[in-house]
Amino acid sequence: MVRTTVFLMVLAAPSKVDLAIPTAWALLRQTEWMITTRLRRWWRALAYLALELLASIISMGLFMVGAVLTPLLLFSGGWLIAPRAVAVLRWWTTKARLRVARYSGVPLAAEYIPIPKNPSFEERLRLVFSRTTGRDSLWLVAHGLLVPIITLLCIGLPLSALNSLLIPSYWYLLPPDQPVSSLYPVTSWDGAAWMVLVGVGYAAVSWWLIPAAAMGLTWIQARILALPSKSSLVERVTALTASRAAALDAHAAELRRIERDLHDGAQNRLVGVVMMLGLAERTLEKNPEDALPHVRRAQQAATEALAGLRTAVHDIHPPILDELGLEGALSALTGRSAIPCLLTLTELHRVPAALESASYFIIAEALTNANKYSAATEVTVAVSRGQGSSGSTDKLLISVEDNGRGGAFERPGGGLAGIRRRTAAFEGVVEFDSPAGGPTTVRVELPCGW
Amino acid sequence: MRVVIAEDDALLREGLSLLLKSEGFDVIAAVDNADDFLAVLDDADAAVLDVRMPPTFTNEGLQAAREARRRRPGFPVLVLSAYVEDRYAGELLSEGAAGLGYLLKERVGKVAEFTDTLRRVAGGATVMDPEVISQLMSRRGASDPISTLTPREREVLGLMAEGLDNLSIGARLVVTETAVSKHIGNIFQKLQLSTMDRGHRRVLAVLAYLRS
Repeated sequence: MVRTTVFLMVLAAPSKVDLAIPTAWALLRQTEWMITTRLRRWWRALAYLALELLASIISMGLFMVGAVLTPLLLFSGGWLIAPRAVAVLRWWTTKARLRVARYSGVPLAAEYIPIPKNPSFEERLRLVFSRTTGRDSLWLVAHGLLVPIITLLCIGLPLSALNSLLIPSYWYLLPPDQPVSSLYPVTSWDGAAWMVLVGVGYAAVSWWLIPAAAMGLTWIQARILALPSKSSLVERVTALTASRAAALDAHAAELRRIERDLHDGAQNRLVGVVMMLGLAERTLEKNPEDALPHVRRAQQAATEALAGLRTAVHDIHPPILDELGLEGALSALTGRSAIPCLLTLTELHRVPAALESASYFIIAEALTNANKYSAATEVTVAVSRGQGSSGSTDKLLISVEDNGRGGAFERPGGGLAGIRRRTAAFEGVVEFDSPAGGPTTVRVELPCGW
Repeated sequence: MRVVIAEDDALLREGLSLLLKSEGFDVIAAVDNADDFLAVLDDADAAVLDVRMPPTFTNEGLQAAREARRRRPGFPVLVLSAYVEDRYAGELLSEGAAGLGYLLKERVGKVAEFTDTLRRVAGGATVMDPEVISQLMSRRGASDPISTLTPREREVLGLMAEGLDNLSIGARLVVTETAVSKHIGNIFQKLQLSTMDRGHRRVLAVLAYLRS
């Protein structure tokens, strides 16, 4: 490239004298620009093809492992590792999408239905035979088998061109019974001279073929890997139906909890008030001087009823969320924690109100658990916006970690079950890790992109 | 009268026990769950039960009431609930209505009425909370014989369901006892209850009312 420029400068030097020259100068500048960009593009395509070659070797390996293991595992414990296998496949195709997107400049979105934490047999079946898994597998086969051939050919061409051009300089060094043989055996200076022409031919073909091959590869991969096909929409509808059912369940469970809070909390206290007042009334009729304790107890019960109402209302929708937003509410929440709590917030932008309140409660539940059971001396809460572990859509990422004794487990109706319930309502993912001896980590991903 | 109380809320349990003691009842036990209640069942003459108790906080009290009456048929039980559910009332009454009461919790505030109700239940009466009655009323379809009753007859039936006798019903509605008897005769007729078994008909009328 540098040489081309110098060469053009030399040619351009007299241009200031001659009037006809400026057009030639412009033409040359244009040609120079074209050549450098073409060269840069060519080089980029070559690098891309080399990268794809390396990746395709991994694809081929994965394909072979899959091809050997799948029939064996179908009859043994294959279903057990199926979700993990699908996760690996998704990870690898996601990497491929990123490569294609980086080369072509067009982002490739992928929507995956989250892999359930402890999938049932039916869920495993659905996962393995899902449209997305089929598509990813097709890509894997194509990538593992075809890409090595195409890329090797393409990368080989410029090397052959170089070789052919160099043949005149070394053919005579080889023993006559083992001549250099590219297209034809080179045994004379004549033959070697023709080789230069062959080299130029190779170079011309590779000049044209390599960018074309790179374009073709990205195009075909994008076609295979891209969404949305009609059937993946069907799949999505199935998943959405499930998540809607979960949302309704979560909603119903929430209403039950509120109902119970009110009936067993505030209402019982109020019954207590009524009862104590009834007692006071009777006592006033019989021996008035004994009535005061009953009135005091009535007052006490009324105060408790008010406190109960306050808690119940707060749990329906924390007013602090409206006042301070999610960030402020979380600062207040973590500030109240008995265990010192470190809150890390990155820019959250606008989060839908339903998600705000879900995240608030999820963190509140996790903190309550930590405060109650972990015996930890420090809790870290982190909330950020970004891409989750699966797929590339916009997510709200929550993590609550304590340095306590661990060993926490999920009980029906417990705090963790509550977190799972709230997360499921938003098609989110919960990861929960609490080995004996700690630490306990709760990670939640809530999709934001709707 | 020896009474056992089963109520999981500590304040209400103590309050009830205090209230009943001060009104001359002999509270032999105040427990917070169904099992402890059934354990002292044989020593009691009547029971006051909360519907929702541990472990599931759904209808443990109802289950306990039915179990108690299975072990001791006709054992008087007064069930208290934070809200009324006519399905619960139906369940309770399905295995015999004598000596059964089903009241909203806040009725304990009217101490005299409450203790009176408890005594009547212990005496074998059926007492349903007015709230149950009005819930049932509002749900009746046009094809139901109950819907052929006049508003006054419904009122009378409601008070019957509360376990009141003709004299008390007359007093409540400010009419003579004879007028009450006439209404009750009409009710029996409209609900097609035979004139033969007089004693049971009141209960049957109430049951017709409670079963949909």
